[in-house]
Amino acid sequence: MSIDADRLENIRMIRDSAQAIAKRGDLRRARDWRDRSPGFDRAVWRSMGDLGWIGLRVEEADGGSGLGMLEFCALVEELGATLTPEPLIAAVAAVRLLGRNAGSDRLSGGRIVLLAWQERTGSLDPTGGASFAGGRLSGCKRFIPSADGVDEFLVTTESGLVLVPRDAAGLTVERSLGQDGGHLATLHFDGVQGELLPGDAGRVLDEAALATAAYLLGVIEGALALTVDYLKTRRQFDAPIGSFQALQHRVVDLTLQAALTRASVESAAACLDGGAVGAEAQAAVSRAKARASDAAMLVTRQAIQLHGGIGYTDECDVGLYLRKAMVLAPAYGGAALHRRRYAALQSPMDEVVDEP
Amino acid sequence: MTIPTQPPDFDALGDEAFRAAVRTFLAGHHPRHLRNPAKRLHWDEARDWYLILASHGWLAPSWPRRYGGMGLSASKQLIYVDEFERFGAARLPDHGIILLGPLLIRHGSEEQKSHFLPKILSGEHIWCQGYSEPNAGSDLASLRTEAVLDGEEWVINGQKTWTTLAQDANWIFLLVRTAKGGKKQEGISFLLAPMDSPGITVRPILNIHRHDEFCEVFFDNVRVPKGNLVGEINRGWSMAKALLGFERIFLGSPRQSAHALARLKHLARHLGVWDDPVFCDRYTQLALDLADHNALFETFADRLRRGESLGPDVSLLKIHQSELFQRITDTMMEIAAEHAGLLDPIDGDRDLDPAGLFLTARAATIYGGSSEVQRNILAKSVLGLPS
Repeated sequence: MSIDADRLENIRMIRDSAQAIAKRGDLRRARDWRDRSPGFDRAVWRSMGDLGWIGLRVEEADGGSGLGMLEFCALVEELGATLTPEPLIAAVAAVRLLGRNAGSDRLSGGRIVLLAWQERTGSLDPTGGASFAGGRLSGCKRFIPSADGVDEFLVTTESGLVLVPRDAAGLTVERSLGQDGGHLATLHFDGVQGELLPGDAGRVLDEAALATAAYLLGVIEGALALTVDYLKTRRQFDAPIGSFQALQHRVVDLTLQAALTRASVESAAACLDGGAVGAEAQAAVSRAKARASDAAMLVTRQAIQLHGGIGYTDECDVGLYLRKAMVLAPAYGGAALHRRRYAALQSPMDEVVDEP
Repeated sequence: MTIPTQPPDFDALGDEAFRAAVRTFLAGHHPRHLRNPAKRLHWDEARDWYLILASHGWLAPSWPRRYGGMGLSASKQLIYVDEFERFGAARLPDHGIILLGPLLIRHGSEEQKSHFLPKILSGEHIWCQGYSEPNAGSDLASLRTEAVLDGEEWVINGQKTWTTLAQDANWIFLLVRTAKGGKKQEGISFLLAPMDSPGITVRPILNIHRHDEFCEVFFDNVRVPKGNLVGEINRGWSMAKALLGFERIFLGSPRQSAHALARLKHLARHLGVWDDPVFCDRYTQLALDLADHNALFETFADRLRRGESLGPDVSLLKIHQSELFQRITDTMMEIAAEHAGLLDPIDGDRDLDPAGLFLTARAATIYGGSSEVQRNILAKSVLGLPS
């Protein structure tokens, strides 16, 4: 799908604006916030609000920026390249679902709300885990990133959405440390009072899965850039190790995976922006997330290997990329899950493949 | 054989109307028995299709209209090739059309253009390409076939190899060494020679299918007129290399893998392995790889449509396409089991020929710059890794 020149220029401007917070090559913030609650910086969150990022996918009439998935993915890719810790994807999903109820305080970054949709691993069904009856929410939701530092959760149930303050009576937040130095929470709801809001999380989950693929694309690029630099400077046997053909060919294969991931993510974003719904949109998202999850693990693993011993140390930044990929490759469905879903959707590809 | 004096003005059509026109043309004119041929066709098999294309002005999509070409924009050339490949149109002996014609149009003299171009379009001249030599394959610039000027004639001595369909050609264009010492790329010139010249010997080579697809061509004191030099002396390398700009995208076209995947699907149905979860997972992975390849191909095609030129990163497409094609045929071999060892297609259905397609796929990672050479190019020109 061809993207017109104006759109390309907009996307370029969004990437540029991302440099204010997420400057490629600078991993200091990512390193600083490891193992430190809440795992991200509320002042930076405010800036993200000021830049219009939180409401990027909320309609302009509802106070957002009304931008498309191509813009969202370009922005998130920059965040991935710098391992930016703020939980933007889960927040964008929540305010998008809230729509006209999102409100300026949340969109400007004053109050942080995250989507809590997941019951268990291996499923993209947002209706399980928690149920709402008689004005009360019960059950649990898992794997919510950075829950320590936020104010509210938007919880998906079979009946609809429930907005729950973090300090609500009956809500217990149980945190687990993540490989990336952040944390993931399990929310236990024991008769939490709340109000039911309308909304179907299905489409928003697909958008979040695609955005996660875009973040992983940034992870891939960041790890690859470090590795190519290292191959140019590290010397052994009286030569830069990047002059050795075995290593050159390996890093070319990683570059190919990066190029395929970019093509996959951007074509899926263009597909959604073009109005695709249902199976066509889901197939495009599954294709991109399967590619990005596998490629991110491959590239970050290989990046460690190509760095040699230094790559196995905490001091070397390349390990930060691997450990972020370990958290995000499975998030919103891993490669195997998305391959299965793609196959089950009988993707439009099957028609393309058939001879006329 | 007459060439239409005024070829249709395809530029007047929108892209989608042009796509429809190509489909209609193929459906109406392509000989049915030549669709998806298992082997590269010889001239006697391909002649009718060649002349049909020529008589309608459809033979040379990239040539300007004033030379009898279709004068297609980059966008329409992509559509033309895409639709021909999708249809399974037979590949012609097309070296004159694809390689020599554009080079003559760019670098040839007026006499060369007016003499040779119409004869390509009429099918009177069938060209073959003399580039590779026994000791100049991936390292083409080290070629040694030499041409020495003797009065008004070039005298050529040496040997070319992998010359596709040389036995059917009546002309050859070749890269020859005209200067020694100095940078090896700078002593190479571009010459034209009739194949019936005294001193030329053609010896067909059987490929791995045992099909005589290409030949060795020997030159023993072959004399051609001085005027058969194209462009400047010792500038043949850069001319020949520049020619492979736009066309390199087609080495990464998804159609070869798309065709193979359709065959894999057909084979899986025939063999009843569609219920096997291991096979299904393999198939899905291949289908995803193809879909992502399509997306990657489109990003390069978009650059051409925007009027940009392609960089060395287009090698990514060639590597991925050819290796995907091979992985698809590997999977065919696995599910075909003992059938994979049989010479003939399963049940005489030529669409159920896993072994044939598997063997064909061997060539894809070798021709047009091997996967290893492409990786060398990417490492140095795109990633900037040291030598």
